[in-house]
Amino acid sequence: MVIDIKKFGAILTSRQLGKEALAAYLPNFNNISESEKIYVNFEDIDVFSPSWGDEFLTGLYKKFGSRLILKKSSNASVNASIEMLEEANSIKFSRE
Amino acid sequence: MINNQLKINEAATYLGVSIDTLRRWDDKGKLKSLRVNQGDHRYYSLAQLEEFLTFSCVNLAIKWAGNSTGEKPNDIFYCSDSSVFQGRLYKLRKALSENKEIEAFFSLLISVVGEIGDNSFGHNLGNWPDVIGIFFAYDIKKKTIVLADRGQGIFKTLKRVRPELQNDAEALGVAFTEILSGRAPESRGNGLKYVRSVIGKNPISLFFQSGGAELNLNQNNLVLKIKKAKKPIPGCLAIIKF
Repeated sequence: MVIDIKKFGAILTSRQLGKEALAAYLPNFNNISESEKIYVNFEDIDVFSPSWGDEFLTGLYKKFGSRLILKKSSNASVNASIEMLEEANSIKFSRE
Repeated sequence: MINNQLKINEAATYLGVSIDTLRRWDDKGKLKSLRVNQGDHRYYSLAQLEEFLTFSCVNLAIKWAGNSTGEKPNDIFYCSDSSVFQGRLYKLRKALSENKEIEAFFSLLISVVGEIGDNSFGHNLGNWPDVIGIFFAYDIKKKTIVLADRGQGIFKTLKRVRPELQNDAEALGVAFTEILSGRAPESRGNGLKYVRSVIGKNPISLFFQSGGAELNLNQNNLVLKIKKAKKPIPGCLAIIKF
């Protein structure tokens, strides 16, 4: 399964919107198998921040752990935010 | 207002100054009216007034943040809630998108602005002392972005989870260096630490004040030298240069 982050918007900086994004997306996982991997695609994202990411990505990590796999991104704010989330939460996201 | 032109009394109300001040500014050339002949009525275009406000946005933000009584800022700077702020971030993105000089750190710059603004809303939700929302402005020509709130300030917010904190300066230090949340029991609060990390790797500088403490950060100076502010403010003020 692939989550295209661009479908949530081009500027993802609001914690509140990150929380809403996760809540809105969760029903999509109702029918996936226990072994299925969840890929996160950051293509076409303009701006990303730790606040939005903490709600959405950390939320998914708590649910799926290493089954959650972040695809490579060339966007500097995506990469800086992911680093911050890993440090802040003492976690390590799986990467493609 | 006719055809986006304002009479002097309308312009004075729009800018929040007296008619006499506008006359004086006209005579000194600080803000020229559009009248052709000396005896004609003074008119101002809306675009001209917006440009004048934008040019003065940092001083206006400082004044607004430090006023003893809270009043809503001019509509062009006022983000009453986070959805308005989000919309204006898109406008900022558009305004900056063609600037090749900042291409390498464009997304980081806007994420820093987003984090600071989002902090104001997140940490003051339901607890705004007077004006709800933030002052958010930018002057692309001066490469300056300013955000301010009249919220509770970092000290009061962090003291809930760090009761040993004694003052604004200590709170500012914790906010920029330690990972913790002012919204316990949620385990969050990495926004300003992220801001500092981004500034350390990019040509962005930040002046940040909360309450009676202030600091300056830039790429070559990440050491937190927290000073007593010249004039305390109730909430937070951030001036970003790039």
